[in-house]
Amino acid sequence: MRSSSMTPAEGSDLVAGFRGTICASFGTSAAHAEEDTGDRPRHELRFDSANPESLARLRTALEQACVGVRLVLAGPPADIHAAAATAAASGLMEEEVTLLSDGTGPRVVFCAHCRTATETLQAIGSQVDCQGCATTLAISSHFSRRIAGYLGFKANAEEAA
Amino acid sequence: MTVTALHATIHPAVAGGLHLEVTDISVQTASVTSITFSDPSGAPLPCYVPGSHLVVQYGDGANAYSLTGSGSAPSEYTISVLRVEDGAGGSMAMHRLAIGERVLVSRPRSAFAPAATATHHLLIAAGIGITPMLSHSRAAAEWGVATSLIYVHRPREGPHVLDAREVLGPALTEFTDRVSFRKELTERLSNQRLGTHLYVCGPAAFMETVLGQARELGWPKGRLHSEPFGAAELDPGQPFTVNLARSGIMLDVPAGVSLLETLEKAGKSIPNMCRKGVCGECALPVRRGAPQHRDLYLSDQEKAANTTIMCCVSRSLDHEMELDL
Repeated sequence: MRSSSMTPAEGSDLVAGFRGTICASFGTSAAHAEEDTGDRPRHELRFDSANPESLARLRTALEQACVGVRLVLAGPPADIHAAAATAAASGLMEEEVTLLSDGTGPRVVFCAHCRTATETLQAIGSQVDCQGCATTLAISSHFSRRIAGYLGFKANAEEAA
Repeated sequence: MTVTALHATIHPAVAGGLHLEVTDISVQTASVTSITFSDPSGAPLPCYVPGSHLVVQYGDGANAYSLTGSGSAPSEYTISVLRVEDGAGGSMAMHRLAIGERVLVSRPRSAFAPAATATHHLLIAAGIGITPMLSHSRAAAEWGVATSLIYVHRPREGPHVLDAREVLGPALTEFTDRVSFRKELTERLSNQRLGTHLYVCGPAAFMETVLGQARELGWPKGRLHSEPFGAAELDPGQPFTVNLARSGIMLDVPAGVSLLETLEKAGKSIPNMCRKGVCGECALPVRRGAPQHRDLYLSDQEKAANTTIMCCVSRSLDHEMELDL
């Protein structure tokens, strides 16, 4: 049983009705290699980053899968959270998805005013300029799993101009 | 209109409920009868979530029955009751009801709601377990959500078979024998697209078969929904003492009497709904002692924490339990 799972079907299309484990890794992350999927069939997907094209490929794979499937996402936090949002929209439940963050890389700040996502290395509580509307945003600790980003809102908005 | 004129005592489960009139009775099968209730003045009734049930008082007792409508803007409530000859008497009382009689019922209660995020509902019913599934099917048809129903019933003895065929058309699969049902079950549980949620209602053993098979095929708990109407009768349990820490009172809970009933007799008003360990309304904080969890509401983790007790069904493993009450 184990030998079949050691032959990852990387690159090939997912067979319709797949109910094993899909391991998707982003960047150079090797974290997924440590995830033991036991006897379950395994399907590997490798992406440089979570961009519209790679997320579309992930979506296509999930459309082929059936209930019983599990998804392992490995890589930088911003990428795996974006992929987790795609997975949720495809009908996967939280308990079916494992996130393996390599803990490095920027965070995504979602602008409450123009809805643009800005990547930044700034910490929660600090500020960043929105790449969409140039508003200086305070980075809140509120994280949206659906949007895969932290809420950013106009800094010092409550102070009199 | 006073309710006390009709019922010597109002069962706690129907307190604050509705006073309705039987407006229709229709025989489904030799043992199942549908009963329709309406407001005597013809007023519209409260809407309900698909899969909700109604508690109906009979004599001094009260029983819960699934509503079979979609729940949107109802002018009447319809339940279907399986006659159980050796039961507590509720179903026999329901079968004796005649058009024009008045009954005291609870407001509809939701304990088996559809998952809002589901893109496909896979419903599996056996026998009288069809009733909440009919509600789900009708609501899903109104909302345009894909729904499939697998219905297992005795040959020529399926309640609501015609209703199910009308609502679901080709999305209904009927079985009258166990072997072919099991074969289809395995296949269907193996080929469902993501976004599918599973709902099961029927006798306890039937539900365990379906849920066990689903778990085996990798369905996580969050996708599984069951209506435990046929919950096995609980044993009377051991007597214990409950210490209400904040009130400074000790109460004895005898065998055969629930903690909830004991608290109510002592004048404590505990929010509660189903009174059978399903809805989660009667949760109480435990300060000391290990509850004997007998409910279907708390997760395994929550049960292990021993900080909450569902006082309608659960008891104490120790001689004494202390509640934050």
